[in-house]
Amino acid sequence: MKNRINLILLLTLLFTSSFAFAQQADDLIGVWEPSNGKVRVKIEKLGTKYFGRIVWLKAPIDSVTNKPKVDKNNPDEALRNVPIKGFRLLKDFSFKSEGEWTEGTIYDPENGSTYSCTIKMKNKNTLDIRGYIGISAFGRTDVWKRLEIKKQ
Amino acid sequence: MVSKFIFLLLALPMLCIAQVDTTKNQPIDEDFSQYDSYNYVDQAAKRYCTSKVLDLSPQKLISIGYDFQGGYDLTTDTLFNPNSTQYESKNGPGFGSIQFSHGLRLAVNIPVISNTAIIVQMGANYAEQRYKFNALNTSAPNDLITTLKENGLRTTGLNTLIFKPFNEKHFLLFQASADLSGDYGFNSINLKYLRSAVAAIWGWKKNDRKMIGFGLSRTYRVGEMNYIPVFLLNYTAPNRKNGCEILFPARAHYRRTFSARSLALFGYELEGQSYHLGSRSSSPALQDLELRRGELRIRAVYERSISSFLWLSAQAGFRYNYSFDADRLPNGKEFFRGFFGTQPYAMQNTLGNTFYFLLGINLVSP
Repeated sequence: MKNRINLILLLTLLFTSSFAFAQQADDLIGVWEPSNGKVRVKIEKLGTKYFGRIVWLKAPIDSVTNKPKVDKNNPDEALRNVPIKGFRLLKDFSFKSEGEWTEGTIYDPENGSTYSCTIKMKNKNTLDIRGYIGISAFGRTDVWKRLEIKKQ
Repeated sequence: MVSKFIFLLLALPMLCIAQVDTTKNQPIDEDFSQYDSYNYVDQAAKRYCTSKVLDLSPQKLISIGYDFQGGYDLTTDTLFNPNSTQYESKNGPGFGSIQFSHGLRLAVNIPVISNTAIIVQMGANYAEQRYKFNALNTSAPNDLITTLKENGLRTTGLNTLIFKPFNEKHFLLFQASADLSGDYGFNSINLKYLRSAVAAIWGWKKNDRKMIGFGLSRTYRVGEMNYIPVFLLNYTAPNRKNGCEILFPARAHYRRTFSARSLALFGYELEGQSYHLGSRSSSPALQDLELRRGELRIRAVYERSISSFLWLSAQAGFRYNYSFDADRLPNGKEFFRGFFGTQPYAMQNTLGNTFYFLLGINLVSP
């Protein structure tokens, strides 16, 4: 009887702690805008990791081609016709600890480069996103703000 | 039995994880127009202009280069001993035929703070110029030629760059450097070799393709210390193929962009420094002598990414001598001559012009 009670307590503890952990981790999910206001990025969870897609562009039309922007700077020529709208630029983020997601990458369509990246949540509506090369010192931090649909 | 049950319970979520192919960007059937209606939950991030324009040549975090100048001649003035009124025949007008000169160039620039509101970068640099003379005319020796032959010239320095945007349009750019320049060895460094330069520019970021600025600098770029106004223009044409990168009068280039990973620059750069001489010579004639080296490099530069953030830089062109004269510093103190000063030079030397090339490999900034 005592063993059963211990097992139930253990399972309850495992369930509640993993639920709280998932709640914190999933705080990242939503629509965000970088400080330059040029794009909006929807962060979602696929499997256990977090990914971000461009869902809105301030200037969706390429001024040179007069067509919707594509990933023309991608180092892989076969991918240069992929539309920027819908493009997954944040990849493979894992929740590390409270308010921090690591081990991901961020892609810059302006130059076709992919950087290592960490995300820190300053508050529930503000992210510090740092892209870097190799070590964090060789990087730059941007501030992203949370968006939500306008209430009527 | 219980332990097996717990193991299965813990393993179950792992088995349920969907396999995500993170390498693909598949077209997504989604109504993107819904995101037009989104708005900030609290407030927008304060927007600042960035330090770059589109397609600007990449900023170098770490660079290793090798500079080579082809053959040229050096004709030196008489070198007087300041402690003697006697003319020293061994320091009469000299002549040296330089087979080539060359040297390493190293630089590291680390962004100590780098965010949207401010960039503070600290750097270190090293450059050397070694001279390979053809057989010297022993009947016309000169201590300046001797120290160039034996010791060469080197610069070791620290620098900082601060980019402070105030809003989406206006920014302040501040640059300062402290360099030890001379014919010293690493065991004979002292503060006699310290020379500092500073520049401040107030600028406007017109749009993503254009930034301009005006400022003032204290510089040794033409060899001797000078105060000169500076003009900044970084511009990329709407076709994203052509542009310019100008920090006048230090450098000005037309830029041709081939892709996001390769570009060419055509233009010039003024390069120079004031070198304190005499550290490794017992010659009294060299004491407190300051060699004012300034040169104009008219050049073509090709830069391309060779692997991720590693870029190759190859430049070649013509090196035109602006100054290779020398001053005797009064009581060892630097002085200002400017463009209109009348202070006489201690030596007026003539350096021939030649071709040069510089090859480098760089780790570039995000």
